[in-house]
Amino acid sequence: MLTGPAANIYGGECVEQDGSDVTIYSGRAENLMEPVFAAFECETGIRLKVRYASNTDLALSMNEEGDRTPADVFLSSSPGPVGFLANSDLLGNIDDDVLELVDEQNRSANGNWVGFSGRKRVLVYNVDEVSADQLPNSIFDLTDPAYEGQVAIPATNGSFADWFTVFRQESGNDVATQWLDDMVANGAKPYPNNRSIVEAASRGEIHMGLVNHYYNYQEAAAAGDDHRAANHDLADDDIGSLLIVTAATVTAASDNPEAANELVGYLLSEGVQRYYSEVTLEYPLAAGVEPAAVLPPLSDVDRSSVNFDDLGDEFEKTNAIIEASGILSQ
Amino acid sequence: MRGIVLRRSAAPTPARALGLVLAAAFAFPAAYLIYRNFSEGADPGGLLLSRRTLEPLSRTLRLAFAVSVTALMLGTSLAWLTTRTNVPLVKLWRIVLPIPLVFPTFIGAAAFIRSLNPGGLANDFLSNVGVERTVELRGFFGAWLVLSVFTYPYVYLPVAARLRQLPGTLEENARVLGDTAAQTFRRICLPQIASAIGAGTLLVFLYTVSDFGAVQLMRYDTLTRSLYTNRLANPPVALALSLILLVVAAVVVVGERQFSRRLPETALSRTNRPIIYDLGRWRWPSLGFVVVAVFLGVGAPLLALLDWAADGLVRSTRGGRPLTIDSAKVIEATVNTLQASVIAAVVAVVAVLPIAYLVGRYRSRTGAVAHTIIISTFALPGLLIALSMKFWTLQSDWAFDTFSDTMALLAFAYVVRFGSLAMGVSLVAVRSVPDRLRDVARTLGASRTRRFLSIDIPVMAPGLLAGAGLVLLSVMKELPITLLIAPIGFPTLATRIFFSFEESFVAEAGIMALVLVGLSFLLTWLLVIRRADHL
Repeated sequence: MLTGPAANIYGGECVEQDGSDVTIYSGRAENLMEPVFAAFECETGIRLKVRYASNTDLALSMNEEGDRTPADVFLSSSPGPVGFLANSDLLGNIDDDVLELVDEQNRSANGNWVGFSGRKRVLVYNVDEVSADQLPNSIFDLTDPAYEGQVAIPATNGSFADWFTVFRQESGNDVATQWLDDMVANGAKPYPNNRSIVEAASRGEIHMGLVNHYYNYQEAAAAGDDHRAANHDLADDDIGSLLIVTAATVTAASDNPEAANELVGYLLSEGVQRYYSEVTLEYPLAAGVEPAAVLPPLSDVDRSSVNFDDLGDEFEKTNAIIEASGILSQ
Repeated sequence: MRGIVLRRSAAPTPARALGLVLAAAFAFPAAYLIYRNFSEGADPGGLLLSRRTLEPLSRTLRLAFAVSVTALMLGTSLAWLTTRTNVPLVKLWRIVLPIPLVFPTFIGAAAFIRSLNPGGLANDFLSNVGVERTVELRGFFGAWLVLSVFTYPYVYLPVAARLRQLPGTLEENARVLGDTAAQTFRRICLPQIASAIGAGTLLVFLYTVSDFGAVQLMRYDTLTRSLYTNRLANPPVALALSLILLVVAAVVVVGERQFSRRLPETALSRTNRPIIYDLGRWRWPSLGFVVVAVFLGVGAPLLALLDWAADGLVRSTRGGRPLTIDSAKVIEATVNTLQASVIAAVVAVVAVLPIAYLVGRYRSRTGAVAHTIIISTFALPGLLIALSMKFWTLQSDWAFDTFSDTMALLAFAYVVRFGSLAMGVSLVAVRSVPDRLRDVARTLGASRTRRFLSIDIPVMAPGLLAGAGLVLLSVMKELPITLLIAPIGFPTLATRIFFSFEESFVAEAGIMALVLVGLSFLLTWLLVIRRADHL
């Protein structure tokens, strides 16, 4: 029998190990994944071997390793590195019955990755410095002089780059590039990642920042009543409200694709989706699980025009635009 | 006594062959970079002259220079105070002063930043004394402060080891002849510790060049930031930037060697008790200086970590978020950390010692090349060492089957990454063995092995231990190599601290960082300080 959060995912007796194993490269942290993996091992008898590192570094490693990679499954907290691997033909196909567990817009049209949880872009702000009537409806409002020097951008972060690629696809290169240039002209400040922005917003070092929704809840849980930042949802049809998925893939080199698919399917099972919804406060994507009550409901804006499969191809260009904007030396 | 030993015989052929083998082993990352620059069609020359490289490169160099100068002054003065003076509580300082080295820079930087948060210690303190404005720690100043207080031990440790060995007679003579303490330091002490200072400062410089954790959190845009941003989006650019880093490092290393080669070498005698100066009315101001250094490098980050840990523990017992670690996880990570760092420290010292002999005793060209490679590699971020190891083991079935996913490869990667830390001090140690003693022993018919064991090793021991200590502490906090090269399922304290912190599990990060500091404290005390004090 399992204990702790893992027991909430699977409460039954553990089965005997069946001798097979699956190797996972996980860009999602051990603190978040361990209960899920423990439940899977207990319920299926398949042993898991996990290497944890950053999404990007794991993708680089797999690129070096090629068809010798020990990884059967790669989990990424943003789609960009998955696109990079797809471009290098390092990803295999996920079984149709696993793919079909999620909506079409949250999985690859080519069948080589599937989203297993969602993180929504929001504006995080300091509740003491910013009053409700000062909050914008759109990211385009943030280029207004009223917000000069107040907005943080996680410019070198993978999920921001992925968001910016989708922005370019949806609004066109010119519009997206112009927006970023205007943000730079308006004194936007670069931060290394979402977490550091939420922390700086709570400290009052920065008034607001473009992040994904998830980190504010984590910081609030860590800092308790001292936490002084809150999430603000931009308009439903604004690009600043995009949902970005965390992605699971099976490698082309996997010597145990059957068990690998079983694991990916397990991530989409009700127990695990409920864990994401209730414990890590992410948006569940499958098994009919509803988002936690504290989270604002997802918009029903149709984003089927967005193609996450292009993220790998477009990554280099996105990165070049971000560098050229001068945001990094602000 | 300042006599430079002119007689230099050629190095024995087996020694040179061994030197070549070691040089080749340490050249794996450099060879990888050169090969990949060609295979990816990278253009390091063109890139070097572009604005997008020159600006971050100049920021990198400015930061490295500023941090080096600060660490030099801080490390040297602290070493002098704790070995040559009657500063109060000297035994305590000797134990505590190397500790900053064990803080991973990202956690050190984060400790400073986060304590300025509402609810953070520094913030609470400031608002209690009436300062309401939030203090922003960022940019050049933030990076300089954090890197300086966490890297000065690279200078402090070798200089203190050297000072403890220097015979007091010279200094006593100078004092008798009427020199002030300051004059004695400048004219007698300084020339003799200059090579140790140079070696340590070089490490500070190269470490700063390679650092990503602190500059990223301080939002100071250096070359490593550019390298990291491009590593997936534009690999040729990242590879070219890495090669540029390596070349810059090699130039600095060769320059430092030219400088230290001209320094006098002094015969050491272990029988003399080192001289202790009475600081007089400077005794308390000196204590104040040491206390400030210890507070910034040890006290402040430690307080922040304690605050994180206590905060989370209290909250988890009051129905807040439960901890995501348990004692089994902490023990597992601690055992792994200990195992990896001890193996790497021992192997590193054994691996660089032959090179130290080639350079320090024979001035061999092979040795000089190996020395340059070993030390320059320290400027490369660990990620590149990890990727190069992956690359080379993938070149043949045999190498892949034998080394992939093994402790041996991990230890090798650590040694390549941190061999430089043992190299500098080992070289100083080899140079400090008096030829006079060897000659006497040879005349008495002692064999080569006997001479090595009974003369060289005892004289060099403090230096070698300091080198091992430096490698040990660095491996304990190492991140990218451990993440990518360690056998699967080999969590260390540093990796678990990193993930916990990145996902805002601050209490978990605090608890494990405290364990890391405690462990390194224990090891430093056992290996370096206790041993060195007996000499």
